[in-house]
Amino acid sequence: MYVYAILGDAPTAPLGSGLAGEPLTLLAAGDVVAAVGAMDEPPAVSRAAVLGHDAVVRRLSDVSAAILPTRFGMIDDASALTDWLRTAADALGEALHLVAGREQMTLHVFDGADPSAVDADEPADEASDARASGPGTRYLTLRRRERRREEGVPELAPLRARLAALVVAERTERRATPPFRASVYHLIERGRSAEYRAAVDDGRELAHGVRLRVSGPWAPYAFAPDPLS
Amino acid sequence: MSRPRAVSEAILDESDASLLDLVDNVLTKGVVIDGEVMLGLAGVDLVYLRLSAVLCAADRLSKRLR
Repeated sequence: MYVYAILGDAPTAPLGSGLAGEPLTLLAAGDVVAAVGAMDEPPAVSRAAVLGHDAVVRRLSDVSAAILPTRFGMIDDASALTDWLRTAADALGEALHLVAGREQMTLHVFDGADPSAVDADEPADEASDARASGPGTRYLTLRRRERRREEGVPELAPLRARLAALVVAERTERRATPPFRASVYHLIERGRSAEYRAAVDDGRELAHGVRLRVSGPWAPYAFAPDPLS
Repeated sequence: MSRPRAVSEAILDESDASLLDLVDNVLTKGVVIDGEVMLGLAGVDLVYLRLSAVLCAADRLSKRLR
């Protein structure tokens, strides 16, 4: 069976159908419920399939307060899935508690300056070093820039303070393809995405040296528990 | 004579970027079930690169238009 999501409670509303038109059903184990559809083979990755997976997840979100979407392509048999749900019950319960009544917004963060140029927020001595002719100095300056990139997104600190009243939890994924610096996933209360967007727009000027792109609301994909080892 | 459309303009619009956001969520986030049969997602790395390329290009485009 294909697994679409893990739910905190069994919805009473109709679940509709899945990616292949199969009826969705529920598989309960302990305190959690998996929303599944009968399918022997996972669907091929395609635009339609990815859109379809998310459409099912959104529909399940509408009828379930606490939902953890599963990653595309999760196929398991009923017995193994039931065993796994019991094994992972604690981690799933904790994650379901966190996402209950909430949704995800995504903040993509880009370097504010062309990657080949000196950073706009770069300390003056580093900017001076970057223009120096010595290869050793240039190398060390580049390494300092890389270290800053690896340290996350400190430029967001003032904006984070502005968003604090809206954001319940945050996950950050660093990107290794400049000028794409990071994706920051925020968990907010359902129905507050417009407020979130407005707060980001109002606070853009606080995030010196980076540019921002907002996306959402999404089901809380980025707030799934880590895979169990 | 109309100006030829830049590649970034040809491939990018908000819906494209949103689709790639969707790909980021659906293919690389979410609960991973132990014992599942994962898809042969050999293309996921390419998806990441495409996501980065498109979002960066969209960012550069929006910067020019501002």
